[in-house]
Amino acid sequence: MITSIAHVTVYVLNQEEALDFYVNKLGFEVGEDMTVEGGFRWLTVNPKSQSQLQLVLAEPKEGPMFTKETASKIRSLIEDGAFGVGVFETDNCHKTYEELVAKGVEFIQPPTEQLYGVEALAVDNSGNWFSLVQRAK
Amino acid sequence: MTANSKYKRLISARDYIADHYHAPFSLTEAAAHSFMSPFHFLRAFKANYGETPNEFLIRLRISKAKQMLITENASVSEICERVGYASLGSFSSLFLKQVGMAPTVYRRTLWQLSNEPFRYPIQAIPACYAYHFLRKPGD
Repeated sequence: MITSIAHVTVYVLNQEEALDFYVNKLGFEVGEDMTVEGGFRWLTVNPKSQSQLQLVLAEPKEGPMFTKETASKIRSLIEDGAFGVGVFETDNCHKTYEELVAKGVEFIQPPTEQLYGVEALAVDNSGNWFSLVQRAK
Repeated sequence: MTANSKYKRLISARDYIADHYHAPFSLTEAAAHSFMSPFHFLRAFKANYGETPNEFLIRLRISKAKQMLITENASVSEICERVGYASLGSFSSLFLKQVGMAPTVYRRTLWQLSNEPFRYPIQAIPACYAYHFLRKPGD
């Protein structure tokens, strides 16, 4: 029986810049940051109240699974906003939206009433989209 | 107090603990950063984060110690002090309990596995990522 999800990959253009965004703008914390032999940087972040699910911030680079061309294509797709990170929950979408806007986070859609709650749509500094949702009670 | 305000106060206290992980821990001081009584703070922290402030601090200290053990050449005693423990015995016991091996064994094991000094071995990250970014299965 699978009990939980531990890691989810978010492809980013630059790990250092993504780290700044997720930590200093979204308020996440660093889960693990370690340089593995071969120079690969294993970098994870998580919301402070949810340390069991780590977002792995990874750069698409030429390697065993990606040719140089594939890595380049993925980078272009990220920049084009072709990928979505997922849904981040908040207990007050309007307030969190205002706080994040003040920190310079780019929003595609302001808080809007949806069937499942109040949702705003933002983009990280790589181009990944994510929803900010306050669930309907 | 709204849920948002309470959460922010808890984060402030949690950040205070994290920023002072190497210093002696005082529940009263940490609680003061949340503007709650120590009893209230303890309950709210556990309810929100699933661990007590002390458990959070231990997790953080052990995590820092693990990193220092691999990426630095400092002695275990020095690392023990730098992460906030006065007693090497207490630190080693906690480390063993949390990590499953003593600090010296942890360092020796990971250093032996790694082909590069002061870097984590490939086995330290999930294999799907190692194979994806570093080498294919069978290589």
